[in-house]
Amino acid sequence: MLFKKSVEELINDISNGKLDENSVISYFKERSANLNSKLQAYISTCEIGKNDGPLRGIPFAIKDNMQLYGTKTTCGSKILENYGSTFTATAVKKLLDNGGTVIGKTNLDEFAMGASTEYSAFFPTRNPWDLERVPGGSSGGSAAAVAAGMVPFALGSDTGGSIRQPASFCGIVGYKPTYGLVSRYGLSAFASSMDQIGPLTKNVRDAALIGNMIFGEDPKDSTTCSKRIDAMSTLENSIEGMKFALPSEFTDSLNSNVKRVLEEAIEKFKKLGARVEEISLPILKYAVAVYYIIAPAEASSNLSRYDGIRYGLRIEKDSIDETYNQTRDEGFGREVKRRIMLGTFTLSATYYDAYFDKAQRMRAKITDEMSKTFQKYDAIIGPTTSTVAFKFGGLSSPLDYYLQDTYTIPANLAGSPAISLPMGFVEELPIGLQIVGKRFDDPKILQIARAYEKIRGEFPMPNVDDGGEM
Amino acid sequence: MKSVIGLEIHAQLSTKTKAFCSCKNEVNAEPNTNICPVCTGQPGALPVLNDQVVEYAIRGALALKCDIHEISSFDRKNYFYPDLPKGYQITQYFHPIATNGHIVLSNGKRVRIRRIHIEEDAGKMFHSSENITKSTSSLVDLNRCGIPLIEIVTEPDMEKPEEAREFIEKLRNILKTVEINTGNMEEGALRCDANVSVVDENGHSSSRVEVKNINSPRFVQRAIEYEISRISKVMKSGKTVPMETRGWDSVSKSTVSMRSKEAENDYRYFPEPDLPILSVSKERIERIKKSLPELPDEKAKRYERELNIKNENAQLLAKDKEISKYFENAIKIGISPKDASNWIVNEVMALFNADSSEFDSKKIPLTHLKKIVEYTNSSKISRLAAKEIMAEVYKSGKDPDTIVKEKNLLQVSDESSLVPIVKEVISENAKVVEQYRKGKTTVIGFFVGAVMKKTKGKADPKLVGKLAKEILDGEKSDQTD
Repeated sequence: MLFKKSVEELINDISNGKLDENSVISYFKERSANLNSKLQAYISTCEIGKNDGPLRGIPFAIKDNMQLYGTKTTCGSKILENYGSTFTATAVKKLLDNGGTVIGKTNLDEFAMGASTEYSAFFPTRNPWDLERVPGGSSGGSAAAVAAGMVPFALGSDTGGSIRQPASFCGIVGYKPTYGLVSRYGLSAFASSMDQIGPLTKNVRDAALIGNMIFGEDPKDSTTCSKRIDAMSTLENSIEGMKFALPSEFTDSLNSNVKRVLEEAIEKFKKLGARVEEISLPILKYAVAVYYIIAPAEASSNLSRYDGIRYGLRIEKDSIDETYNQTRDEGFGREVKRRIMLGTFTLSATYYDAYFDKAQRMRAKITDEMSKTFQKYDAIIGPTTSTVAFKFGGLSSPLDYYLQDTYTIPANLAGSPAISLPMGFVEELPIGLQIVGKRFDDPKILQIARAYEKIRGEFPMPNVDDGGEM
Repeated sequence: MKSVIGLEIHAQLSTKTKAFCSCKNEVNAEPNTNICPVCTGQPGALPVLNDQVVEYAIRGALALKCDIHEISSFDRKNYFYPDLPKGYQITQYFHPIATNGHIVLSNGKRVRIRRIHIEEDAGKMFHSSENITKSTSSLVDLNRCGIPLIEIVTEPDMEKPEEAREFIEKLRNILKTVEINTGNMEEGALRCDANVSVVDENGHSSSRVEVKNINSPRFVQRAIEYEISRISKVMKSGKTVPMETRGWDSVSKSTVSMRSKEAENDYRYFPEPDLPILSVSKERIERIKKSLPELPDEKAKRYERELNIKNENAQLLAKDKEISKYFENAIKIGISPKDASNWIVNEVMALFNADSSEFDSKKIPLTHLKKIVEYTNSSKISRLAAKEIMAEVYKSGKDPDTIVKEKNLLQVSDESSLVPIVKEVISENAKVVEQYRKGKTTVIGFFVGAVMKKTKGKADPKLVGKLAKEILDGEKSDQTD
């Protein structure tokens, strides 16, 4: 039952000689191969790494929007279907340098734009808890792979909730570090001012462990910072006396089932000696609107490089303009085009002030209000998502779909660290608890999450092994 | 009719590496060899600002008397073109690094510089046909892509094409002096776009027309002249001048419409999220200011003040870094400042101007110049012969001593050999002698000229004048008749 083991347990077993490093890798490769036809978590598989280091013998998966030399990096898009990486992303390289081995590149919504993997150009990934349901997104492939025990951990990227929401839907831990703490070099950009790489793991200790390995200033990414953060040393400390804010904006429209699970979580915090106070942060109502102006604007520019000239798909036509048009029309999917158009519109000279500039100013306000909250509270808590995983095709209107990110977006706008960990079940499906902290308070939110995890007890894994359908 | 002219200049900074990656800043290498994931726009690659770019930009901006901003930032200018791999250019649109500078022209006019900002160059395109619309394929070389530029934008303060030309020349010399740009306009290291509009007698102004692709100071003047006359004609015919972008064609010496302003891109500028705010400390700005070399205008003033060189010559000697170095070295090896100034301005520079080539000190080595000056000052050769030697040095690089011998240019200055020639000339020109006798003494010059002609310029003109006067006044007649 190796697949049930955490990264930490595997490291110990390998270093004790209980497990052989090569057999661990081949075990997970085989398990991945067996389950992938059912879950479709991977876009491609590989075996790259095997250096010496603490992660020696530990396989992992990365979202297929991270460059890894020797692999194709598709970003879940037809336009990059055959794109071979020319270098390796810094965060991935750090894990390889620590001895880890990449065995798969996971599915995602095209260019990380989505919350279900339904917008992958290739296929949707299935939720290991219920194959009829989405795993969440955009890091849905990474979440499903970790939840099903195909890998002990995986990397995802989070621009508006893309690590935390699938973690919530798949019953695992998803951690988005403070913006600037992990290098974005080699992460194909969606919205540069919010994109952040982070781990998806079985438990909080693993999240802190992997976090520590990927943190750090990168001379190749000017938005990284030189602050040194250690997430492990304070992890087991008590949270007694801490104060958490629960914004009513996160609970007002919750259905009673989710509310009940949340109330149980609050009770657990009280048992741990922490206080939870309901507050009102009305400005959070604008977070989704602000996000859906800034993120598509940055995306419209970031995706301009996919023009069929130097690499990727090219539909050659008589003129350069037709070549651009046809390449991008055939290469990009519906959701990506929608966001490019949205972003192009809000950045246009006529509308810049009314949309982009106003959104930037609003973003500063939201950040400011959150900072003020963190002066009084150690963290902001709430559910990660308002619902459990939905069924494929279950959210047909773009607006409903965008509202999936309501609770997760504020952390991206403010650059805050945030983590989602399993809170409980609603109708036999997992749902996550989100903890958001002040910038660089990563050790504290991990400490809070760890305290909760201990009092909650072990969270079950989905049963994906016996014949498939649950 | 009055014209209003403003300029936009792109200057490549001669840094070691590109603006946002560590590729070499070498445009002329084998195509697509100085490239990397960053400057070819691979997914996931990120820009990192080269600090030397900041240093050079500040040097240039200080030399142009700008205010340097302690805080500036980068933005993206979005448009599609095959030479632009990311689909956007990183530039400084909202908050440039410097504003509010100027250059003073020789007529005393102060041309204001509105702003200077840092940006990156695009790649180079090669089309299968001279005419882009007839091309069936194009190649892209990305060596130039990501090379740092500063864009210098003037206020529309110039009224005459010559002013624009002088502005460009002065600017080029300043950038060369502070060693941030090669000044090579033909190779595109310095590129100029001109904005031109014309105001008629009734005060009605034409639309502004932008002229691009001007690759020499001379063409800056020519292109603007052409454009002013073109716009004036359109205005006189009663038609409206469309606001447009035109390209200068240096072959046909005319401008051609490239695109109308309505068809211009909306560049969708927005702050570059991949780069933090650029902050430079007061101390750093001060340190750079102190490290700046003497600028051409200051140098000219010093030449006037300390070396007693007349204003016009001082300006000419100081404006070009190479020439001023040549001038100062000439003085160092013992040529007097006055001689050095006169010879360099009147003779040396004239030679380079005559075949419109760039000044190159190697073509007339200072030791050669010194010999020519000494020959002349000691009356061993005539001024005319000196000119001839100079031209020969310029052409062949031969030593002046050799040239003097080969061409037999030593001045004849012994009386015994000159007197018969002077007499010959006097006897051949009885009418002129008559005039002299009637009191028109200036005709001495005529006799001197004639003797010089007969001796092929070798005679010492002063001595010839003296002899002619003596012979005509009868003082010499006894001994020779």
